[in-house]
This record gives sequence, structure tokens and C-alpha cells, in this order.
Amino acid sequence: MLEQLLDASLWASVTRALIPVLLAAIGGMICERAGVFQISLEGMMLAGAFAAVGMAHVSGSPWAAVVGAALAGVALSLVLAFGAVSRGGNAIVLGVAINILAVGLTSFLLPQLFGVRGSFQPEGGVRIGAVSIPGLSDLPFMGPVLFNLSLLGYLALLLVPATWYFLFRTQIGLRLRGVGERPLAAETLGVSPTAYRYAAVMVSGVLAGLAGAQLSLGNVGVFAENMSSGRGWIAVVAVLLGRAHPMGVLGACVLFGFAEAFGFRLQGQGLPVQITDALPFVVTLAALVLARKQFRRLLDLTAGSV
Amino acid sequence: MADSLRSRLPTLLGHPVTIALVVSFGFGGVVIALTGGDPLTAFSEMLTGGFSGNGLRNTLGRSIPIVGMALAFSIAFRAGILNLGGEGQMLLGALTGTMLAITLPGPGVVVVPVAVLGGAVVGAAWGLLPALGQTRLRVPLLITSLLLNYVARAVTSYLVRYPFGEPGAAFASTAAVPETARIPRFEILGSGRISISFLFMLGIVVAAAIAYRRTVFGYETGMMGLSGPFARFGGVDVDRHALVTMALSGGVGGLVGTHLVVGETYRYIDADMIAQAGFAWTGLMVALLAFNRPIPILVAGIFFAGLQIGGFAMERATDVSWQLAQVIQALVIVAVVSRFSVGRKRLRNLEKEEAVAEAEASHVGEV
Repeated sequence: MLEQLLDASLWASVTRALIPVLLAAIGGMICERAGVFQISLEGMMLAGAFAAVGMAHVSGSPWAAVVGAALAGVALSLVLAFGAVSRGGNAIVLGVAINILAVGLTSFLLPQLFGVRGSFQPEGGVRIGAVSIPGLSDLPFMGPVLFNLSLLGYLALLLVPATWYFLFRTQIGLRLRGVGERPLAAETLGVSPTAYRYAAVMVSGVLAGLAGAQLSLGNVGVFAENMSSGRGWIAVVAVLLGRAHPMGVLGACVLFGFAEAFGFRLQGQGLPVQITDALPFVVTLAALVLARKQFRRLLDLTAGSV
Repeated sequence: MADSLRSRLPTLLGHPVTIALVVSFGFGGVVIALTGGDPLTAFSEMLTGGFSGNGLRNTLGRSIPIVGMALAFSIAFRAGILNLGGEGQMLLGALTGTMLAITLPGPGVVVVPVAVLGGAVVGAAWGLLPALGQTRLRVPLLITSLLLNYVARAVTSYLVRYPFGEPGAAFASTAAVPETARIPRFEILGSGRISISFLFMLGIVVAAAIAYRRTVFGYETGMMGLSGPFARFGGVDVDRHALVTMALSGGVGGLVGTHLVVGETYRYIDADMIAQAGFAWTGLMVALLAFNRPIPILVAGIFFAGLQIGGFAMERATDVSWQLAQVIQALVIVAVVSRFSVGRKRLRNLEKEEAVAEAEASHVGEV
């Protein structure tokens, strides 16, 4: 029975499940490194999912959809950057408000623009399809798992080494980390924390928006109200568990992707949907408890946060 | 009196809440215009629909869960604890209260209080979980309380579908609460009736106002919110208070949930309750807008309830969908948190303070 549950097609659905979370988590990681606690990934993902479907409907092009999703994410990220960086507002409270705003805006615009409620499929069924890499995609096991993804999927996986190189091997990356760890020192050296934080938050907006596009147009082909359903929060946890290190974040995302895919598989074995839907969250909670020694900074941040 | 009003007018006009309201209604108007509606008609439908006649009574009815969840959130947030788990605390409390009301034998005067209490206890227990995680295991409550919402949703959905579900129902729901075990209603504003939960809610508002100002517990938890370390140095048992505030917060959430079924719909319908769990977020926004103070929470809660009820009227009259109310509410909070009102000079001072605080915080340790 275990062999039945753990084959290559399971791992292929693990990659599919983890990609939106990974895209968003990489953005959250960059913010964390710049010293901005980013908990509005959920809302930005939802806005991206909506904008992608909207643009696909209007233009018929998946490329336009991807651009629209990125812009929607950036628009919300500017709200966060302005409030938290320029005005010194509480990033956590602001993040919660942005998540609520995204739910409100998308469920307001859905009937307003497209005259439907609940869910919406773009005209012509535009999708962000998988692009298999010739040769590699035929490899046993690895092929379907790693080389038959959407372009956003490849982007997500490539961003892991790319952000590692950026953060730890480039001057800008060093400055970004400096801004996060010792803002005053960075400023004394002529590095503007404001500029770096704006850039980091906007990058996270782009990536979370793309994550939304992958979710709506990549994975299912429709937008549904509240379709991010906690994945942005799981991305926040991935940043925490992965200690804002690209490899750690990837590892955490694989864990959640596995929980989601495995839960889906268990449904096939007759377990009720309600229980398997909770699996990624239960796994996440368990991982938080196991990794509990690393959260001092967040605990300090949230103590006395009024 | 005119003098005192005149002298207060500039501060009232420059008050963060005033400016936030102007900014968010302005933005809402722009959105309506862009999507092809008429902002002025829409807003006037919204205000008359929410704050006059039957609309006002519906607004008062809807303010019960909103003010309730705002109080629930504020009890913890006053102590610096961000309880994002209101949804789950509500849902589990609601299902417990419903099942008690359905299954317990006996007269209503006994069954209803027991059901309400049961709902509160389960909500409190669900709120205690993340609090124990934070105080005993040092796992951040902010995240765990939120993640537990999804677990609570799954658990309630499962229970309503299988063990507690009414066989043969078209959608997942429990049986109806028997008439004797329902929270009674009373007449208000003419011929209509609302649940007596409304009076109960007013009682909690007053109790909270007194407790915050006049009790040691209120003082100490307020101090925790201003500065956790300071309260700890001052001899406050911070961990114990964290547990108690989270239990109270979750307990009020459970009360609200129980009211929604045993006082309103009389049936726990899965899809409907997941939608109603949104009250937790509306409540959170109300608490933020009112800076956690009970009486302002009551005012702001009735105002937000009115915007939503007015939103339904607006949708019927103008084709602008009611979720605009939600957009405006979220924008109010964004504007308040972004401190739109802070004058230039104060802002500069704030930045200075923050730079110092950051410099200190940066020594505290790493991610």
C-alpha cells in the first residue's frame, strides 16, 4: 500500500503543489532578509490569481495574464511598503489588513466586472500550460517530477539557487542583508534602508502575484473566491522554518507540497476530503513545534505590538 | 460649548479615523466610478439602507457578531497578543453550542445557558491551544492561531457532514435547534425583533470597559500590550496573562458562534458558517479602528454592520455589489495603520524614535 502511495506521479503532484508556495515564500524570504516581516503573501497571491484570470479573459494571452498578476501583486506590495516602510506602521497589522482587502476587492470585482459569483473561467479557457524540456522530460522519475512544469514552475525552482547567489555572493545582496540586520549601520555607510525595503517588498509582490497566476491559470484554469486558501500563510511559515535561507525555504516547501499531494492521494483511498484538506496545516503546525527554537525574533516582534 | 467644539474641530478633522474614512470612501467612490457605477447614488443607498427603518434593526442584529468578535480580538490584542484564530474559535464554539441545544433535554431556561456556556468553553479551549504553544513551546501564536483556523474548518465540516449531519439533507447541516432551546428575541424599533444576545453583548462591552479601567488584570494586560518586557520587569506574570486573555478571547468567539446558530439560523449549515466566520475579520478591523477600547468598539462595530447591511441595499438598488463595504472597511484599516494623519513634524520625530528602537532591536538576535 505504501508503494502505491509513493510513486513518481505522487512526486509530480508534490512539485505542482509546492510551486505557488515556493514562489511566494522566496518573496517573503527576501523581505525577511531586508527586515520587513511579510505576512500579506496570502492576499497578494489571491490578487494575482484574480488578475491573471481577468487579463487572460480580456486579452486571451497567458503572457498578459502573467504580467497582470505581477502588477496586481506589486500594487498591493506598494500599500505595504508605503505604510510599513515610509510611514512606520506595524507591518503585521498592515499585512492582515491587506489580506482582508484582497479578499474584499476580488470578491467585489468578480461580479462587478464579470457578472458572476463564486468562480470564473476566462473565455477560451486560457491556461498557463506545462512546457516539457525535450530529452529531459522523458527521464524516468525525474522527467515528470522536474522537467514537465510551467514556465513559472521552472522560474520558482531556478530562483532557489539564484536567490542564494544573490543574497550571499553579490554586493547588493550583502547590502540587503545589512539593511535587515543592522539598518543603522547600513545607513551610515550610505545604503538607504528605505530603498532596499521598498525593492524587497515589491519583489515579493511580483512573486506572490505570479504564485497566484500559477494557482489559477496553471493548476486549475479558473479563479475561485478565496482560492489561495491558506497557501500564502504556509509560505510565511516556510520562510520561518527555512530560516530565510533559500535551501531551507525549499525544504519547507517540499514538506508542505508533500503533505498536500499525499492528502490528495489519501482521498483516493477513501479518506474524507475535509480531513485530508487539513493535512498540510497539521504538518505545518507539527513542523513549527519541532523547529521551535528559531522563533525568538518573531516572538520579540509580536510582543507588545499594539 | 461652541468654543470648545471649535477648538476641538481641528483635532477631530485631523483625527486618524476621520482621515481614514475620507480616504477609503474616496477610493471606494473611484472604484465604483471605474466599474461603471455612480458613487453618490451608491453611497446614499448604502447609508440610508444601513441606518434607517428596518435596515437599522438589521444593522443592530448584525452588530452582535461584529462587536462580539471585535471584543474577542481586542481582549488579546490589548495585551499585545495577535489572535488571528477567531474563525476557528467561533466555528468550534458554534458547533458545540448547537449540538448541546439540540441534544440536551429539559426546559429552555436550562438548556440555552448550558449550550451557550459549552460553546464558550470549547472556543476558549481552542484559543488556549496556540497560547500554550507560545508560552510553553515558544511557537509564535500569531502563526499557529491562524493555521488552526483551517484545522477547525476541516473538523467542523467533517463533523457536520458525518456524525452530526442530518441524514438526507441537501447540504451539510445539523438538524434544527428545537424551538424551546433557542435564544429568545425581543421587539425593538417598531414591530421587528432581534435576539436578546444584543443585550448580552452590551453587557460584555460594559464589563470589558470596567475591567480594562478598574481592575488589576485590566491594568496589567494593558501594560503588556504597551511593552511586554516592561510588564515582565514590573512583576506581571506575562505568560499566565497570555493564557487567560487567549482563553477569554476564544471564549467570546465561541459565544458569538453559538449565537449565530442558536440565536439566528437555528441550524448549523457548513457552507453558511464558513462564510459567517468572516465576522472574525470584520471584528478584527473594528477593534483596530477603535484602538481596542470597548465603547468605541461598540460604535465602530455598529457602523461597520451598517455598512454591510447598507451594502446589501445598495446592491439591490444600483448593481454595485455589496462587497464594496468590505473593501472600504479594509481600506479604513490600511489608512489608520499607515498613519495618514500624522503631521510632518511628528512623523519625523517618530522616525527618529524608530531608528533608535531598531538600533536596539538589532542587537536582540537573528532570525
